[in-house]
Amino acid sequence: MFITEWNSSALVKAATKAGKKKNALTPMTFSLLHATDFADRLLYKIIPPLKAGMIVLADRYAYTAFARDVARGVDRQWVRDLYSFAVRPNLSVYFRVPIEVSLDRLLARRVKLKFYEAGMDMGWSSNPTESFRRFQSLVLDEYDQIVVEHDLRVIDASRSITEQQRVFRRVVSENLEVSL
Amino acid sequence: MTDDERGEHGAHGGVTPGQYYEHGLPYLPLDRYPGRIIAIEGTDGVGRSTQIRLLREWLEVLGYGVAETGWTRSRLMQPTIELAKASNTLNKLTFVLLYACDFADRLEKEIIPALKAGFIVLADRYIYTAMARAGVRGVDSQWVRRMYGFAIAPHLVFYLKIDADALARRVLEAGGMAYWEAGMDMKSGHDIYDNFRAYQRLLLKEYGAMADEFGFRVLDGRKPVTVIQDELRRQIGEFLEADAVAPVRP
Repeated sequence: MFITEWNSSALVKAATKAGKKKNALTPMTFSLLHATDFADRLLYKIIPPLKAGMIVLADRYAYTAFARDVARGVDRQWVRDLYSFAVRPNLSVYFRVPIEVSLDRLLARRVKLKFYEAGMDMGWSSNPTESFRRFQSLVLDEYDQIVVEHDLRVIDASRSITEQQRVFRRVVSENLEVSL
Repeated sequence: MTDDERGEHGAHGGVTPGQYYEHGLPYLPLDRYPGRIIAIEGTDGVGRSTQIRLLREWLEVLGYGVAETGWTRSRLMQPTIELAKASNTLNKLTFVLLYACDFADRLEKEIIPALKAGFIVLADRYIYTAMARAGVRGVDSQWVRRMYGFAIAPHLVFYLKIDADALARRVLEAGGMAYWEAGMDMKSGHDIYDNFRAYQRLLLKEYGAMADEFGFRVLDGRKPVTVIQDELRRQIGEFLEADAVAPVRP
């Protein structure tokens, strides 16, 4: 088994970090940088374990980009074409949570909302919570379309972690049984 | 633009200059900006920078505002691209995507503002270099073209054409062959001279194939600098003269 996380390739880290720090990324450069990161991980971290017959657990995949980049105003078809080099996952699971629940969870942990995560780059509101609510609700709308379009399995993430894990394991085992 | 209008062929050559080739940036609609984009294309060492410097002087004397933009010169991406090249960690996809990111940054921060302000943008290489390099490395050409659909079609594209042998001599005289100019990442052998010629030959073929598709104006890059410059000035002069909405002149 191999785990790969969004936005973790060494190659693109420097530029992403610099761009994020200076808040210098536009929706388009944000999108292309993350695609570069994804391509780097796909070739070095995802395809080799697949060839070796391993299970790759991807913490976010191209769908994150579809949702987020389009919420920022990037063309919906363009971003899909951009990621057409990605390997189609055998199973994609979407943990769906209402906006207020995710806000409560983030704020309860007293984490400061990140600039780009809260969509502050869009300049819609100088209040991070307000900006988060507005930006993430667009992201969630996009996800709802993606679920249908790419056949994502939805898990209700407002339930307890134990309950989510129980459903998740069932969904994964079903998929493995089918593919084995 | 609809799929019907775009059609199968001439998709890119047929686009109105100053407009996005395909799926552009929905958050930055282009509104008949007064500026103009003039791109100079051609492989490494063909003399683009010299021609651009001379063009800039000439246009400024004529009273035009001039902005320059050059390949991999974006503030966002330049350090990363240099690092990636130095550490040899690029694969063909990340190679293409990093360049696209550099281009996007310059498009939004340099090119579009200059067009709005009525400047003539002199582009030292445009997206075609990226397409040629991607093509040589076997990246799907349709994918690359669609990705660069957010680029703005230039008003004029000049292609300085040269053959691989003349180019090899010129690059050697100017100080030698570099790793990437010789396509050494393609791992076809250890002889840099042979690799340089083989790689540049493939690149020239890619450029040649794009000439019709994108409406390049082809100039003989083996001619003396002054001869090429005179020809550039003649053609650009004619274009600006005939242009209904001329860029800002004081």
